[in-house]
Amino acid sequence: MSGYLKLAVKNLLRHRIRSALTMLGIAASVGVLFSVLSFNNGFNKGLAEELERTGLHFMVVPSGCAHEVAALVLHGAVIPKFLDTGVMQHLQETSGIAMATPILVAQQPNPQKERIDLVYGVDMEVLSAIKPNWQIEGKIPSQDNEILLGHEVAKHEDLKPGDVFMETADGMPLIIAGIVGLTGSQDDAFVYLPIQTAQKILERPGAATAIGVKVSVPERMNEITDALTSAVPGIQIVTMGQVMNSISNLAASARALSLAIVLIAVLISAVGVMNSILMSVFERSQEIGMMRAVGASRRDVFRIILEETTILSLTGGVFGIAIATLGSKLIEAFVRSVMPFVPTGSLISFDPFLALGSMLFIMVIGLFAGIYPACKASKINPVEAIKG
Amino acid sequence: MIGLRKIEKSYRRGAEDVRALRGVDLSVDKEELLAITGPSGAGKTTLLHILGCLDQPTSGEVLIDGVDASRLPEAELVKLRRDKIGFVFQQFYLIPGLSVYDNIALPLLFSKKPASPEKIIHLAKRVGLEHRLEHVPSQLSGGEMQRTAIARGLVNEPEILLADEPTGNLDSDNSEKIFEILRSLRRNGLTIVMITHNPELATRADRTVRIKDGLVHTES
Repeated sequence: MSGYLKLAVKNLLRHRIRSALTMLGIAASVGVLFSVLSFNNGFNKGLAEELERTGLHFMVVPSGCAHEVAALVLHGAVIPKFLDTGVMQHLQETSGIAMATPILVAQQPNPQKERIDLVYGVDMEVLSAIKPNWQIEGKIPSQDNEILLGHEVAKHEDLKPGDVFMETADGMPLIIAGIVGLTGSQDDAFVYLPIQTAQKILERPGAATAIGVKVSVPERMNEITDALTSAVPGIQIVTMGQVMNSISNLAASARALSLAIVLIAVLISAVGVMNSILMSVFERSQEIGMMRAVGASRRDVFRIILEETTILSLTGGVFGIAIATLGSKLIEAFVRSVMPFVPTGSLISFDPFLALGSMLFIMVIGLFAGIYPACKASKINPVEAIKG
Repeated sequence: MIGLRKIEKSYRRGAEDVRALRGVDLSVDKEELLAITGPSGAGKTTLLHILGCLDQPTSGEVLIDGVDASRLPEAELVKLRRDKIGFVFQQFYLIPGLSVYDNIALPLLFSKKPASPEKIIHLAKRVGLEHRLEHVPSQLSGGEMQRTAIARGLVNEPEILLADEPTGNLDSDNSEKIFEILRSLRRNGLTIVMITHNPELATRADRTVRIKDGLVHTES
């Protein structure tokens, strides 16, 4: 260890609690900064993967807001609009379409139980593709009379696989094939069932809130969507790219706000560093006077003080990133509980470049915070300091 | 070795102008042990700081080996202090977290000279602290702390050692030990200027200068 470094470390260790608290302030701000930036990366990656897994290229929806569609596809928002039955037929007759799968999401009053069920009708294979990380107790429905329950619905009614959830108007019992484990999201409040069954209990045969479409040749997608838009009135086509942009934009707004708050936290921790180092400079002014007397130049004193801030920033940075990495699951759980849509899968993944970038950022901030106390220390008049 | 010519030093203390030194002429010979005495506030410490190039006189000349230090820029003064002058203070000013070894070696950090263990151990032996090298200041007695400070003052191999009441915080036994160390250093070729309030120690110096009201009052 170089002499300057050793001196700086020893100085910091003289007031362990003060140094530790200052370092923790830095660690907290770096940790949050790193988490927010990591979350940004993880969110976009997770979102792209999730949309990719659906295998769909675009959605056909009633004319309206693209954000609603985005929410619908990914977590089942309720849109009080339905596509005409003719749309599905038109899609099946359009060349270049490999698959068209209707999705029906609606509120269904249940007079038997005096409540309103949130119904999500979809092809069960598509559902498996959209939600690969669901932990299901039981199985995905394979029959028309089988359903899948969200965690909260099952818990509220104390239901388990094999129980009868309800009967359709014509007396067909709907049997619970499986129950989705707790996701912490709106998924917990839905009843998932095959599209035909959903259409039946909602008494809207052939209806859909949206139709997911996969084209045979993705390069021809624009041509197909243009043709559909002009041929079928009252529909809107939203590509998965647009869905991704819509959600990303919403998340970006939240992120911008978070980053602004994080930057304020970083600033506060920098002021904390400045305060702590300045205090120790004032306390050690006689000692600094002695060092000047035994041959230290102003530059030497400046360097010692700056090394102290560097050590605080460096240890705070490493500690903050370690805590953020280790606590990423907790942060994820928190984010999932407060955000309307969060992709499944890991949101925060350790990116060494991001970690290095966060470290460099806090080091620069730390150095800036150290410059004033270091200048102050280097300007201490040795004669006045020694006299006390 | 050192010559002070018509040294004046004034400074402001609040609304008051203080004339700490009022035209001091003093010379210190090579390998001399000079004691400076005088009442508190007489200007002894100010004089020592000017001798050690730590402070600049308001007017007058400070000749060290023929060079007028009162005209030198700050960078040159730092170099002069590193190369030629060692300081010892009444309050020791050791760095609390550093061992005796590291405290002795501290000035080498600033002079960019290698801190060879042989040199540090040799100095520690010279002040009788070879068994205390790994101890930190809080584990030392007052006398041991001052001996550490003396070894630190010698580590850059200065020609002049300036001591501001080095026995001021010590009992008579430890004061005697410190004074004996200073005398042996002088015998080995060091020039020493020491401020003291102890008349008995002052009489045992090669020469004593009494300062009063910013002037050299008597020499003996």
